[in-house]
Amino acid sequence: MNTHTFFAGVDVGSAAVKVVLLDEADQILSQAVLPTSGVLADSFRRALDQAVDSAGLHAQYCRGLIATGYGRDRVEGRIRSVTEITCHARGARFFYPEARSVIDIGGQDSKAIALDEGGRVLRFEMNDKCAAGTGRFLEVMARLLEIELDQFGGRALAADAPVAISSTCTVFAESEVISWLAQNQPVNNIAAGLCRSIASRVFGLASRVRMTGPTIMTGGVARNPGVVHALEELLGEPLLLPGQPQLAGALGAALFAKDSVLSSGGQ
Amino acid sequence: MDIQSLMAPFSFAEKEPYAKAMEAAASGKPVAGYLCSYAPLELLHAAGYLPVRVFSRIGDTHHADELLQTFSCSYARSVLDRALKKEWPFLDIVLFSHTCDTMQNVADLWRAHRGDAEVLIVSVPTQTDGALAEKYYGAELARVRRLLEEKTGPIAEARIEEALALFQQQRNAMEQLYALRARYPKVLTGARVMQIALAAQLMDREAHLAALHALLSAVESAEEAASDDSAALPKVFVAGSMCSPPAFIDLIEEAGCHIVGDDLCVSHRAFYSADAEDGSTLEVLTRRSLHRDPCPAFHRTGWHPGHALLARVRAAGADGVIFLLTQFCDPMAFDYVPMMKALEEAGIPAITLSVEQNQEPSEQLRTRVSAFSEMLQGSA
Repeated sequence: MNTHTFFAGVDVGSAAVKVVLLDEADQILSQAVLPTSGVLADSFRRALDQAVDSAGLHAQYCRGLIATGYGRDRVEGRIRSVTEITCHARGARFFYPEARSVIDIGGQDSKAIALDEGGRVLRFEMNDKCAAGTGRFLEVMARLLEIELDQFGGRALAADAPVAISSTCTVFAESEVISWLAQNQPVNNIAAGLCRSIASRVFGLASRVRMTGPTIMTGGVARNPGVVHALEELLGEPLLLPGQPQLAGALGAALFAKDSVLSSGGQ
Repeated sequence: MDIQSLMAPFSFAEKEPYAKAMEAAASGKPVAGYLCSYAPLELLHAAGYLPVRVFSRIGDTHHADELLQTFSCSYARSVLDRALKKEWPFLDIVLFSHTCDTMQNVADLWRAHRGDAEVLIVSVPTQTDGALAEKYYGAELARVRRLLEEKTGPIAEARIEEALALFQQQRNAMEQLYALRARYPKVLTGARVMQIALAAQLMDREAHLAALHALLSAVESAEEAASDDSAALPKVFVAGSMCSPPAFIDLIEEAGCHIVGDDLCVSHRAFYSADAEDGSTLEVLTRRSLHRDPCPAFHRTGWHPGHALLARVRAAGADGVIFLLTQFCDPMAFDYVPMMKALEEAGIPAITLSVEQNQEPSEQLRTRVSAFSEMLQGSA
């Protein structure tokens, strides 16, 4: 029986539950990403089981678990909850220790975080009321444009004349997209316009926290090259992109779990 | 007596805020509603009224939405909606101060749609310093006195003097409470202080004062004070606009912050007053109002909202500031800029939450306050 011990970070987001398992040497042992279902406890349990099983580990050897994300307080067995702002900052710095800023765009929120030299959060902003400028916005628009979500960014990059989408409100932007479709605008140009509108909104958050580079982008939307490109244009610098940007929050939570257990003398 | 028992006289303020007003009205006492911290409460009290503050509450505002522009703040929207739903049937008069055009509109709509309580509008000079402002406001208070006398009969000078003394005692006791909260956070939690402050604006002032004195004398010897382990919690100062729904204070405390001070219109700012003793009763009342620390709707030469806030934040020993900004409150939005700048220059972290007075705090707001708490602690 594998008695390898580990620390767990769980990020219960609006679109997906992410799990990262870590050992004492900060090696990522396993990870899982599953869609969030209506019953948060089930989603979390399935994702954790998958991560544990795929690495051949056993749940009883988990030395500590920290939860983050909007469903963080519903995760059973956690040491405590830590917000996704703090966890994304920690996870981002693990990927890129030189990062001084983080842009995170998830399923239903977006965040801009300025870090000090030691990686601690100096200032942050996040959207506080609606899902404008987030992954959910992209999902709605992809359906409207009848393209797959994973093709969205590529189609945007292939645009020859991006259209202007003046609103990031999902409802108003939908009306604008319908108008552009009625005018026979190519889908690529509309997709590029939508990516720019998200980037513009997030750039506003970034400006408010007076971000300085290097900037790392995390969250599922970092996998959309159209949004990444539009943001890089506005920021005037390339973004640091981890291989699995959506895992930053869960990774940060796992790192905090390790710190928490080791600092309390846990074996 | 333990603190929980001593809090009992104030607990109605959260559960049934207008229970005391209804009791007073049932016993034949006239009740006056007021909306602004500048309302001349001493005159209302001397005229025999129980002054009760008109608060917003969490809930829909469909009726008000039909009448107000979309850029009206949620406080205006909520109180007008409550009036249109025929709440507060026990009010004999409602006293507005001209703080902004929106509140002027709410006063006019209230008057047009509710025939039961007479609406009075008091015009506080926007520029509160100078001889002209004093002369103007003195005349305005004399006008209010005449209007009240038309309803309740002559108001004896002695009654106004008594009211001046009573309300000053209440403000002094509230100042004591605000000073003590920073030292005894486990006893005087944010929720408790808010409950006491709301009750102070909703019940018989003598009864409130007696209950508050009893509580204040027990704070230092309270069991919770001896076992206070909250020194490690981040200490925050809460600034902003109205903010009566206690849910926002609960949100901050649930996020692990300890509230050491506030500059909220329904809490500490409701008890701001200047020292003034000489002159006639109306002159004293005029100076107490005009020379106090102004709220964002008013100005005084040389007054700097940022420096004033910074002084309050430092006096409270806060690690950071949480702004609860009511969307579309333009006077607050103007003061917010120099306030933020002063905090930034002083290196005091601050976070701004856009709140709607009639809506429950969202999950995003909870996350932001929790993240701010973690930030103030240096890490998670």
